[in-house]
Amino acid sequence: MSILKTDNLTYKYSVGTPFEVTALDSVNLEVEKGELVAVIGHTGSGKSTLIQHFNGLLKPTEGSVLVDGQDIWESKKTLRDARFKVGLCFQYPEYQLFEETVFADIAFGPKNMKLSDEEIKERVMRAAEFTGVTKEMLEKSPFDLSGGEKRRVAIAGVMAMEPEILILDEPTSGLDPKGRDTILRLIRDYRDNTGSTVMIVSHSMEDVAKIATKVLVMNRATVMSYDTVPETYRHAEELLSVGLDVPQITKIFMDLKRRGLPVRDDVYTVEQAVAEIDRLRKEGVNV
Amino acid sequence: MIKDITIGQFFPGDSVIHRMDPRMKLILTIVYIVIIFLCKNFWALGFMLLSLVIMCALSGVPAKVILKSIKPIAIIITFTAILNIFYVRTGEPLLDWHFIHITTGGVFTAIFMIIRICALVVASSLLTYTTSPTQITDGIERLFSPLKFMRGGVHTLAMMMTIALRFIPTLIDEFEKITNAQKARGADLETGNLVERAKALIPVLVPLFITSFRRAYELAFAMECRCYHGAEGRTRMKIMKYSKLDVFGFLFILIATGGVIALNMFFRHVV
Ligand SMILES: Nc1ncnc2c1ncn2[C@@H]1O[C@H](COP(=O)(O)OP(=O)(O)OP(=O)(O)O)[C@@H](O)[C@H]1O
Ligand SMILES: [Mg+2]
Repeated sequence: MSILKTDNLTYKYSVGTPFEVTALDSVNLEVEKGELVAVIGHTGSGKSTLIQHFNGLLKPTEGSVLVDGQDIWESKKTLRDARFKVGLCFQYPEYQLFEETVFADIAFGPKNMKLSDEEIKERVMRAAEFTGVTKEMLEKSPFDLSGGEKRRVAIAGVMAMEPEILILDEPTSGLDPKGRDTILRLIRDYRDNTGSTVMIVSHSMEDVAKIATKVLVMNRATVMSYDTVPETYRHAEELLSVGLDVPQITKIFMDLKRRGLPVRDDVYTVEQAVAEIDRLRKEGVNV
Repeated sequence: MIKDITIGQFFPGDSVIHRMDPRMKLILTIVYIVIIFLCKNFWALGFMLLSLVIMCALSGVPAKVILKSIKPIAIIITFTAILNIFYVRTGEPLLDWHFIHITTGGVFTAIFMIIRICALVVASSLLTYTTSPTQITDGIERLFSPLKFMRGGVHTLAMMMTIALRFIPTLIDEFEKITNAQKARGADLETGNLVERAKALIPVLVPLFITSFRRAYELAFAMECRCYHGAEGRTRMKIMKYSKLDVFGFLFILIATGGVIALNMFFRHVV
């Protein structure tokens, strides 16, 4: 059974005013357990709106959201369960830090789950280790950290709740390439180690291609496609036509194909590209 | 985003009321409110109510939206009405039971007050619904410009007001965002007693303050970078001009005033 499912999910902002916007238009989606889903789409396509439905922060205007087969809006209890089953980390999460020490801030989520003190401590330590938050940092005030460090603390705060589904909204925005790689690696490791389902919203195709198992493409409030990475990039032209970028290497291979070379059309990493060119060489094609 | 440049109250449109000069609208709103308090009987009040309905209809703002502006003050209205019913002792007695004495005078005054307060709120909301905050502050600045010689100056005050108004929606946005982020971490803001709820707000308020300070610094910096140095020699992008519409508006309120004075004279006073 799918862990996350939406059924004709429609959401409108500011209903009944001149500013009414349909941010989601009958979205049907099924996510399997253990997947690492990348959500991509142009600005305003409804990505953030969609993920805020998964833990019940937004109530669907129409349709329903099912977590573990349970409609989360059925009762107060199912809603609260969804809050803890689905961990959501917003864009620029560093602006949500508020406690006196990093430790206390990471512990905020587990504390709200009414866990025992030992359990809380254990979880904080685990999450801190995972995200590379050092022992000295745990004692500091979160406001004395650098931007990248704050980001990691904030992500640790959500991870410490050990949700079955971890969702991150543009976790790498505003970071340098090294910080970006660190965060992405950490997210992938988290999923590999815990077997949880992970969903990340991203603008960078290159990042997505590196770690995702599935790609969800949003376009104008609807789901354009939900497929594996190679399948998604096989339709690179459609992605480009809705204003999305594809990895540089995919663009080069699209060009090669247009020039008549018999190359595969689902290349999206440099390693694949190297292998493909080797194959062509062996087959005697002049590259 | 549109939301960012307008305050939640503003209801964009292109009606005759929207197009009136903000200065005229400000003055007329104040005049209107004064007249409401000059009404002495139901005829005069009804007449003012009628003119208010006409203005609302002209503005093109849906009735539902206009009525919504009364909601936040429902408690004040109820309270005023109850006080008036119990404490005004004029007219015929309606009910005499232990310490409760209700008279016709009390009931009339209560109804009168309800209508008055509602009209007052609706009239001022009509101003904010049809005038963007920037226009309002610009209008205020222009109206008070004869006071330029004052220390600090009208301009500084108006600029402070503009900035404050401009950032209300941003703050609301920010508040919602942080609330959502903390809710996602399991913060419970809806249940518990007053103290618990106030405590639950800490995780929201601390980040909100920090962000606000950061924003204030950034804004001050950006303004200095663009050579902002107060009112001196500053020209305007939009120049305000009175038009025929403003004359009509003025006449409309003039007639309303005349009507109220006449009705006050012809009919018996209630309050
Ligand atoms: N709080 C809000 N009130 C009104 N409209 C909103 C609000 N939040 C988003 N919208 C609108 O809903 C639509 C979808 O927004 P959403 O934030 O989900 O997009 P997104 O895909 O996350 O974009 P981005 O990549 O820029 O983050 C947009 O048209 C946006 O203007
Ligand atoms: Mg977004």
